[in-house]
Amino acid sequence: MTHANVEIGSAGGRRLANTGLYAIYAVAVLFTLFPILAVVMLSMKQPSEVFSWPPTFLPATLNLDTYIYVLTETTIGRMLWNSVFLTACSTAGCIAISAPAAYAFSRLKFRAQKPLLLILLVYQMISSMVIALPLYRYFEALGLLDSHMGVILVYITVEIPFTVWLLKGFFDAIPPSLDEAARIDGASRLQVLRIVILPLAKPGLAAALIFNVIAGWSQFIIPFILIQRAEMLPISIGVLNFAPGQTEGEITIPYLAAASIIAMLPALTMFVLLQRYIVQALTGGAVKG
Amino acid sequence: MSQVTIANVRKTYGSATIIPDVSLDISDGEFVILVGPSGCGKSTLLRMIAGLEAISGGDIAIGGRVVNNLQPKERDIAMVFQNYALYPHMTVADNMGFSLRLSKVPKAQIAEDVAKAAKILGLTALLDRYPGQLSGGQRQRVAMGRAIVRNPQVFLFDEPLSNLDAKLRVQMRAEIKELHQKLKTTTIYVTHDQIEAMTMADKIVVMRSGVIEQIGAPLELYDHPRNLFVASFIGSPSMNLIHGRVEGGHFVSDGGHRLPLPRATAGLEGRPLVYGVRPEHLALADDGFEVEIAVVEPTGSESHVLARLGDNDLTCVFRERITLRSGDRVRVRPEPDNIHIFDAQSGDRVIQV
Ligand SMILES: Nc1ncnc2c1ncn2[C@@H]1O[C@H](COP(=O)(O)OP(=O)(O)OP(=O)(O)O)[C@@H](O)[C@H]1O
Ligand SMILES: [Mg+2]
Repeated sequence: MTHANVEIGSAGGRRLANTGLYAIYAVAVLFTLFPILAVVMLSMKQPSEVFSWPPTFLPATLNLDTYIYVLTETTIGRMLWNSVFLTACSTAGCIAISAPAAYAFSRLKFRAQKPLLLILLVYQMISSMVIALPLYRYFEALGLLDSHMGVILVYITVEIPFTVWLLKGFFDAIPPSLDEAARIDGASRLQVLRIVILPLAKPGLAAALIFNVIAGWSQFIIPFILIQRAEMLPISIGVLNFAPGQTEGEITIPYLAAASIIAMLPALTMFVLLQRYIVQALTGGAVKG
Repeated sequence: MSQVTIANVRKTYGSATIIPDVSLDISDGEFVILVGPSGCGKSTLLRMIAGLEAISGGDIAIGGRVVNNLQPKERDIAMVFQNYALYPHMTVADNMGFSLRLSKVPKAQIAEDVAKAAKILGLTALLDRYPGQLSGGQRQRVAMGRAIVRNPQVFLFDEPLSNLDAKLRVQMRAEIKELHQKLKTTTIYVTHDQIEAMTMADKIVVMRSGVIEQIGAPLELYDHPRNLFVASFIGSPSMNLIHGRVEGGHFVSDGGHRLPLPRATAGLEGRPLVYGVRPEHLALADDGFEVEIAVVEPTGSESHVLARLGDNDLTCVFRERITLRSGDRVRVRPEPDNIHIFDAQSGDRVIQV
């Protein structure tokens, strides 16, 4: 009797706590979504509306004219492609290098193991800003300015430390006796990694993929320093100089807003798709034990 | 031929010496069990034979070929791990066929070999399952299946039964022994369970702190333990050990109790000794020495009696049912042929009975 009462009471309490929690979530979501919504609204406004007084939130008409213009009449397609290319190559390169490295850190015992891991961690804390100037000098000397290859190499380099740490964590959770069984069964170290470890670390790979794609897509300082030619710029920088207007002094803010939204969409889609994949990998692993 | 020869093998981790110097010959088809208390280096020795652990000195040869610097996969061995180490993302069939797949055996041949091994182990119905969908005993069998599919020169087992419940352990014990009789593959098996060792082995290797204390057939170790360590490690309940010395043809315990000796004991007088007798070698007898009963444990087939002789605890196992109770006094007598005398200082046996 009393027991049931306590249960109901605590269930009610839990419901109250949940409601409070959701209220906080709602505020947080609104807080983050508001600027994006504002940009969406801005992108649909006529140039004359942008600075109208009193300011309006909603545009006079909901239309996609600016989007159509930006997509058909500007070089945004080229910039998007540049971003996709840089992101895809750097992600693939980074995981290809980080996975064996993380495996070695997870499984092999060697003297420099701890110091090296620490160095990676420290390196990861250095902002791109700090290395900007020397990076420019080096790449100039190497003739790697205005080259996608050069930019990809730098992306890979800056993303390796975190990716290695991330993957090492997932590899550490796989019992080493699986490696040993596979090695006795006749697998080489690389085969162990490919056939046993990587399939079991799928959630880790998905996490690494998400991290690398988001990081690659939003790289700013590195391409800003290393690329000057307009047709090679990724969207993250391209958007900044987005001025499709022909006449001097024309208000281009709605176009800029539309371009920003377009720039966001691929990364957003990717995130949503990969997030599903993570959940799948996690539950799949649980079923198989 | 797949004999295994271990010659003066050493293992150190940094400055810690785990195995100072071990030599052991295992002949073709033999079932050898390494047994000893936790941390004595059994797994380390097994893993050195497997090639999972580098050796710090000496030689290991499998089938007459020195394998010191060979990778595990080049040693033609199979190993069953304590936690089974099945690949969770592969089906039972794929787990068992993994090594064949790696050595590029044709698919049809793999399927055939896997089916054959599955039949031996009663796994045929489970081939499409994943390890996560199996019970502990079934996983254990799959791990063994993975080993026998390859038809290796040597099987290595590291405490394969310690994660199973007692009943299943007894059953798997019999199955492994039967499997060995069928396949006749040289087997090295690690356990810290002396009953497993006694029931399964052709030859037992008793280890302590990285040193081999005695090598021999199970009953040989049971009947003729070379020292106190082996005497107390082998046998369950373990051997009764009473400290004392020989005086005037009798063994006199430190508590002043007189125990009979088997035969002439010239030269033993005066030095500190240990008198050993197994619980089942004590019989009720009117001409025996008197003990006080503390606990009686009837197991049905026999009666375990914990008794006291002065300060010494004495375990007796009687075939007959006992109606005595705690506090009663009875007379028991050791079988003269089964009395062991050890030197108290060195622990070595001093009389060969
Ligand atoms: N990597 C290592 N570094 C240092 N010492 C180690 C290492 N691996 C094992 N040892 C030590 O070696 C000794 C033997 O270990 P081992 O695993 O062979 O024991 P075991 O006989 O198999 O024991 P158990 O019955 O508990 O499995 C232990 O004292 C252990 O602490
Ligand atoms: Mg062990």
